[in-house]
Amino acid sequence: VCGTDGIISFPADPSSVDLEKVANIIVDQSLKDCVFSKEAGRICYTIIQAESKQVGQSIFRRSLLNRLQQEYKDREELRARSPQAWICYVTFICNIFDYLRVNNMPMMALVNPVYECLFRLAQPDSLKKEEEVDCLVLQLHRIGEQLEKMNSQPMDELFSLLRDGFLLEEGLSSLSQLLLLEIIEFRAADWKMTDAAQKYYYSEVTD
Amino acid sequence: MSFRQRSPHSGGCGSESSSPQHPARWSQGRKRGADGKRRKQNDSDSSIFDDENKYGSSDNRLDSFTTPEGPGPFSRCSDWGSVVEEDEMRTNVNKEIARYKRKLLINEFARERKSSSGSSDSKESTVTVELETDEVVLMRRQKQINYGKNTIAYDRYIKEVPRCHRVPGVHPRTPNKFKKYSRRSWDQQIRLWKVALHSWDPPAEEGSDLQAITPVDLGEMETESIGSNSTESQASSQDNYDTFSGTPTKVRHVDYQVEGEFDLEACLNEPLKDFSTVS
Repeated sequence: VCGTDGIISFPADPSSVDLEKVANIIVDQSLKDCVFSKEAGRICYTIIQAESKQVGQSIFRRSLLNRLQQEYKDREELRARSPQAWICYVTFICNIFDYLRVNNMPMMALVNPVYECLFRLAQPDSLKKEEEVDCLVLQLHRIGEQLEKMNSQPMDELFSLLRDGFLLEEGLSSLSQLLLLEIIEFRAADWKMTDAAQKYYYSEVTD
Repeated sequence: MSFRQRSPHSGGCGSESSSPQHPARWSQGRKRGADGKRRKQNDSDSSIFDDENKYGSSDNRLDSFTTPEGPGPFSRCSDWGSVVEEDEMRTNVNKEIARYKRKLLINEFARERKSSSGSSDSKESTVTVELETDEVVLMRRQKQINYGKNTIAYDRYIKEVPRCHRVPGVHPRTPNKFKKYSRRSWDQQIRLWKVALHSWDPPAEEGSDLQAITPVDLGEMETESIGSNSTESQASSQDNYDTFSGTPTKVRHVDYQVEGEFDLEACLNEPLKDFSTVS
């Protein structure tokens, strides 16, 4: 049982693995720890493969996805309650989209929800927060190209929002503006880093 | 953070478009009003995918999202777990049918080569077999097969009798989902196959309460009756049946000795008839 304080206690029989619990533990942790959520997809992928090969089932995947869906339904409240958890959630769902495949294709079921999350991040109130802009551009770097392949029209719309945000919105920090400019150019260059962009954006960056 | 158990009978399953429980949330509400201004933020139902005028068509609605008018004939459940499982099964089935067709072509080709010595008549060449290609049917059949294979009995069976040692008519054979059969015929084959598999159920002394409980087969089938094995509880009723209630959990394997003999008599008493001629 995973209490709300995050303390995890295991059932009496440690040899039985409740995969649904494991899925919940992973999601809970992802919402708290952004570093974890960045790579949790890989862990999930491993567990799913193992379950599939060893017992031919997908209890873990099903629990994971349904929990993800539940959080997605309540994402506005999540964002209002904890901006940090919201960012972790978006990072996590994008990571899941990146790693979890079905017969070598990304999961269709996640395409729209991921887009919705990115659109939310592109709203004026989110653009005013550096952490959200940062999250947005990071996700687009990681999965933008794939996402666009699955469904390209929303990407056009998203980027037009980003351009509007960049040009029209007041209250954007200069870092946010820089991040937006970079991702706009990145996509324009077909999701690739050009030398010019590398020089412009990253040559001044100190490690 | 509490997690609501996903009940197999949650509102989305089997619901029609009038169900309030599981609308495709991203198809409700509008993100922008007619003046282009954004709607209030706290409208959790708002979605970029609802304004069809903007996108020109409903093509953005992915088919895997079962919208009420959507083409998803299999289920109205919109929970991601089920949608992904369905997609996976669909792509698997499509791969299998491609593979099966290739296999048939190869067989046909090989047979034609053998009989190409001039005197070949229609008896020698392959009868053109019509295949079952309806995705809905294939997926339903695959599910039924999965239920049968997801049992301890099946595990024991395949361990005990390798495919090369199988004797037709004696050893149960998985019905071929790609062949054309009537619904009744198919359901009956599945039923008999699963009954035959019960010969490999673990013996009662080894803990019969651990036997996998097979859920009822799909659709309007009558509950199958298990004659001999009184310890197995068939607690299913077809009213409970939900396509997406969790795949039967394979019970933890008990250590057992593989028995040298199986119950041949039971096997012979339940012969698998060939139903290919039954309409």
